[in-house]
Amino acid sequence: MGRIKKDRLIQMAPHFCGFKPQGLQCKTGEDVCINFEEYEAINLCDYELLTQAEAAKLMKVSRPTFTRIYESVRRKIAKAFVEGSCIQFEGGNVAIAEWFKCNECKITFTLPENANKHCPFCKTQVIIENN
Amino acid sequence: MIIAIAANKNNLKTLVDAHFGKCNWFCLHDTETHQSSFIENPASQNQENAGCDAAGIMLDKNICMAIAGRFGSKVVDVFRKNNIQMVIPETLQTISEIINQIK
Repeated sequence: MGRIKKDRLIQMAPHFCGFKPQGLQCKTGEDVCINFEEYEAINLCDYELLTQAEAAKLMKVSRPTFTRIYESVRRKIAKAFVEGSCIQFEGGNVAIAEWFKCNECKITFTLPENANKHCPFCKTQVIIENN
Repeated sequence: MIIAIAANKNNLKTLVDAHFGKCNWFCLHDTETHQSSFIENPASQNQENAGCDAAGIMLDKNICMAIAGRFGSKVVDVFRKNNIQMVIPETLQTISEIINQIK
């Protein structure tokens, strides 16, 4: 049995489930699954324009591991683009950083250390953890 | 407590900006005196590190809470380390609507 993968830290999971190609009569091929660590890798590198070393540090993995994740997601995206497959976001070995939600105020927020667990706006203690 | 809100323009009727680092203005609201002031974001045009530069300026202003539509990963890292609360509204809201909610 292989070694268990270390959890990669991601700041936020995507708030939608994936992508669909436009104008296809019937579905071709299999869906491409992009897991959350791969989503975060492409976000850090190509959206926020961090270097791979910086991005690796934020995700708490080594630089070579980050490069592997990044390589894998680029290939998956290319495959989906060329073959017209759907992209699904799911799974992965990830630890998602702590975020809270208040349904009353419709906000997502973090809590400072040692603070009371309540919504910063309406002060209700009914808050939901992590997306 | 001082709250920083990312803003598009320097008035209270404008919407909360979608991105913390790249917004043009910051609204600084003091919850004790109920005074709001606007400062220009000098990092708004930066290609890189806009978020970190803006976060540094905000830390100098001793803010306790930051509100924007999105925070970059580096900014999240900086704010978590400095124990500053981040708030992301899920709907489009104006600065004054946000300020009214805080009271």
